[in-house]
Order: sequence, then structure tokens, then C-alpha cells
Amino acid sequence: MKAMNKLGRILLVEDDPKDVELTLTALEEYNLANEVIVARDGEEALEYLYSRGKFKTRSSGNPAVMLLDLKLPKVDGLEVLKQIKSEEKLRMMPVVVLTSSKEEKDMVASYKLGVSAYVVKPVDFHEFVNAIKELGVFWAVINEPPPGSVRK
Amino acid sequence: MARSKLRLRIFQSPVLRYGLAVLSVSVALGGALLIERLQLRNITLFLFAIAVAAWYGGTGAAVLALLLSCISFAYFFVEPSHTLYISRAHIPYFILFVLFAWLVSWFSSVRRRVEADLLQAHDKLKIEVSERSSLLNLTHDTIFVRDMSDSIRYWNRGAEELYGWTPEQAIGKRSHELLRTVFPSPLDDIQAEFLRTGRWEGELNHTKADGTQVIVASRWSLRRDEREQPIAVLETNNDITVRKRWEQEIQSLNQKLAMRSTELEAINTELEAFAYSVSHDLRAPLRHMAGYTELLQKKATSTLDDKSNHYIKMVLESAKRMGNLIDDLLAFSRIGRAETQNTLVSLEQLVREALTEVRDDTEGRNIAWKIGALPDFYGDRSMLRLVLVNLISNAIKFTRTRPQAEIEIGCADGNEDDLAIFVRDNGVGFDARYANKLFGVFQRLHQASEFEGTGIGLATVQRIIHRHGGKVWAKGAVDGGATFYFSAPKPRGHL
Repeated sequence: MKAMNKLGRILLVEDDPKDVELTLTALEEYNLANEVIVARDGEEALEYLYSRGKFKTRSSGNPAVMLLDLKLPKVDGLEVLKQIKSEEKLRMMPVVVLTSSKEEKDMVASYKLGVSAYVVKPVDFHEFVNAIKELGVFWAVINEPPPGSVRK
Repeated sequence: MARSKLRLRIFQSPVLRYGLAVLSVSVALGGALLIERLQLRNITLFLFAIAVAAWYGGTGAAVLALLLSCISFAYFFVEPSHTLYISRAHIPYFILFVLFAWLVSWFSSVRRRVEADLLQAHDKLKIEVSERSSLLNLTHDTIFVRDMSDSIRYWNRGAEELYGWTPEQAIGKRSHELLRTVFPSPLDDIQAEFLRTGRWEGELNHTKADGTQVIVASRWSLRRDEREQPIAVLETNNDITVRKRWEQEIQSLNQKLAMRSTELEAINTELEAFAYSVSHDLRAPLRHMAGYTELLQKKATSTLDDKSNHYIKMVLESAKRMGNLIDDLLAFSRIGRAETQNTLVSLEQLVREALTEVRDDTEGRNIAWKIGALPDFYGDRSMLRLVLVNLISNAIKFTRTRPQAEIEIGCADGNEDDLAIFVRDNGVGFDARYANKLFGVFQRLHQASEFEGTGIGLATVQRIIHRHGGKVWAKGAVDGGATFYFSAPKPRGHL
């Protein structure tokens, strides 16, 4: 695969281990899982992005895309989004909201905060795998991320 | 009053009037003769007699007294005495006397006329005042006048009717004590404002003669004399007890209403949180079930027997169905919560849009469409569209078994105020006995193996039409097709 040599790093922010497993499985199926970092709540996601806490020693650079769940412990998804978009170094990073909720107010709030895409996880696993694959391929491979993003 | 009556009485009888003239002059003459005998000459007594005659007898008596005085004077006191002849030397003296006498009588009569006029004006005023009082008695308003020491001076019939005291009982009493007035603010403040502006308006609490309380809208106006000194207060009161009670009732109803709507708001918020939770938390495990089952299927399908594979398939189907149910239920609850944005909507346009939306379902089907003229409808465009989409896709679904499906959309004869639209098909129909179940949530009259669906479509239709103030109903028979109707109030100023 030609794309393999420039696969972008994906930050997956998801608290539910089953969702993490299923998402990783879906990405694996298309060889997109190599560069996935998982944060289990909003705080951890911010720690990663600001290179602090347990991510103090991580290699520098922003992920090519962040897949963000909205319902998260500690700091919820919308709050994470708000902080990212008000930070000069982070605001250009593409963020895809990946959530169970089809609630309009969440959607409106997310777009207002400048999210790149809003994806509702389909119940059907087949559709779910397809959605994750397309997201992975588009954001981690096809899309040209802003300068300063980590590429393999 | 009694004194002035006596002083100003005029003798009515002519005998009395002229007799008075004669008598007073005679008395004056006697007095004058007596004084003459005592070597004193005095004409003052005659002038006094003329004045008395003029005062009490009027002009005629004055003239007679003047004449008699002249003759007496000429006869007794002007030389030569005891004749009416007047010597040349005494003529100026006599003329002087006549002049004085005439002046006295003139002054007297003028003064008497002025006093008579005054008396007449006074009588007129009295009549006017009593007329005015009776006018004030005509009004239903409560009016009384109190002086600056709060003592009641006038009390009209309205006051008597409202408070129960007669004018005789009320006049002279202190009004605030009698009525046990409760003021909205300290009396001193009210009084200060009143004296400054000359007016005051406010609500007062009074106690009637029978002890019951009244609330009055009170208006005071200040009366001043010509030196701008305040002399009296005119107080006009209107009984607003009933109005006040209504106001209080309305207020308490409003409070209750506000409480109810707060409650409703809380329930709505709860409902929203519930829907959100359903949307989020119920879908996640469902997705996991479906996901892991599919992974299992993928990994183990070759090692599993047919039965096991069938079970897996059933789990997946159920998960999918539950996903659809949750989605439909959420959409249904959203319709109840969403705000309607009403405009005038062309139903013909809306039907065209609905037909485009259901085009996929009609592929490979033989359907004869019959679409009549449709009116404009006042309502929420996207909601009405959903109504048409649901009804039309139902018609498409339940005519599936017909080689030639017929679907008709038209305007039924509504009544004067309502529009009625129908969607008719020649499909499998329904048992009329269960017609009332058609519009319930998740109610289905067909087995899932015959016709798919969650049973939310018609419930959604009903909810939308109810929100538009309309009705839904259906007619049908087993295997005899079905007709679904919905009605809504006609757009005002239209059709």
C-alpha cells in the first residue's frame, strides 16, 4: 500500500474498552492501527496533547487526526474540544467527533466549536467497520494534515 | 339667619305700610312739638321718621312720609307758624329740609333694594346647592366632603349605600375614624403630598357600618378659599373589592400556572435527559453486542454448525431491530419536544417532495397514482412532510401484494373550519375492530414476517397532527384497502 509510508498518527479518545477494542479491530482490518494512541478520558487526551503527565516524554508533534467521543469521564468531549480550539498550537488539528449520540444539540455544539466531522457510530458492526475504515483512510492517509503533525 | 329675617321683613299690607308712614311722622311731630315747647328746634326726628317709613314701608310709604313731614314742618316750624305759608326768609331753610328728607328716603329705599337682592341671591344659591347635592346623590360613586380637621361635612347617597351610615349619622364624624381607614403608606406622607399637589389617588381599606371590609379606589381633591388656604377635601371612592378579589384570584392562578410550567419544564428537561441517555447509553451496549457477534461469526463461521450460525444471525437481526426501535422512539419523542415553525405550506408541493423521498420503495412496483387538487395548509413544513411520507410509504408497503396498486391522495369534504386530507390505497387493509390501535406507539396489526416496521409511523402522524390542532382517523377492511385521514384548522383568511 502506497499510503503506508505516510500514515498519520491517530489519537482515539474513548472511555469504553469495548468500543476501543472494536475500533482498533476495525482499523486493524485495514492496517491503520499501527499509529493509534488511546486516551481513556478527556483529561488523558489533554495530557497527551500538552505532553504532560504520563505523556511527558512522548515524541513531539500533533496527531494527524483526533477521534473524539463526547461522553467521557472527568473532562467531557465538548470541553476537550473547546480547549483545543482555543489553543494556538492545537486549533488546526482535525477533530472528528465519534459518538453514539444523534442528539442535535451535541451536533450543533460540536460544529460551533469547529469540529471537522461528526460521525454517529452505527449499531450495525459492518457499517461501523466501514465508517472507521473510511475515517482512518481519509484523515490518516488521504488528508494532508496541518504542518507539525506526526507522520510515519 | 333668624335675625336677618326679622330685619329684612317688609310689610306686605298697604294699610300697614302707609299707616306706618303716618304713625312715624306723627310720632316725630309730637316729639318735635315737645322739643319746640322746650325751645329746641330739631328736624332730625322727621328725617328719622322718613327713614323708618322708607325702610319698612317701601318707596310709597317714604313719599307719603316725606309729604306729611313737609306739611308738618311748614305748618309748625316755619315762620309764620300755624299756616302752610312760608315766608321768603324761611324758604331756603324749608328747601334744605326737603332735600335732606328726600336724600334719607332715597338712601333707605336703595339700601332696602340691595338687601332684597342679596336675600334673593341667597335663596337662589340655597336652591342651587340643594339641586347640586341631589345631583351628587344620583351618582353611584361614593362622595363625601370633609374639612381640614377630617370632620365630615357632606355625605352623598352613594356613601350611604356603600358604607351604611345615613348623612345624619356621618356628618360631623371624623372620616378616618368612622371608616377605620387603612392607608397604603403613612398618613403624614399622604397628607404632605396631598397638600402639595392638591390631589391624591390610591387604594384604601375601609370598614362598613356592618363591620365588613371594602377596598376602594379613592380620589381626593383639595378645595382652597380665595386666600389659597385649604378648606375642604372632596373624597370620591369606588368600591373595587370585587375587582381586587378577581385580581388576586388571577394572580394566584398565574402563580399556579407558573408553578405548573416550571414543573412541566422540569419534566421536559428530565425527558430530554432520558432521551439523551437512551440515545447514548442504550445504543452503546447494543453496538457492542452486534460488533462482537459479528466478529464471532467471522472467526467461527466455518467451525460452527448450521444451527449455531442461525443463532448468531438471529442475535444480529435482533440487535439491528432494537437499534431501529431506539432510533424511531427517539425521533418520535423529538417530535413532541421540537418547536413548530408554522407557515403556509403548499400540500401539493409537499406531496411531490414526499413522492421523491419514497421513490426507492416504488422500484419494480406497478402503482397507479391518483393525486387530486390539494389546498394550502398552515403548519410546520418538515413535520407535515413527515406525515405525508409516513402515510404514503405505508400505502406503498401495504399494497405490495397487489399486482396493480392504486394509491389516491386528495382533499376530502371537511367541515367549515377544517381541511381534511386523505391517502387511500387498495392494499391489504385492516380489521376495523382494531382501528383504534393503529395510531398507538409500537402497535402493529400485521405480523413482522408479513410487513416490516416498528409501529411508530402512524403514532408519529397522530402526534404531529395533534400538535397542529387536528385529528387523524382511518377507514378500512381486511383485504379491502385503507384510507387514512388527517384534518387541521383551515388557514385563516385563506380559502
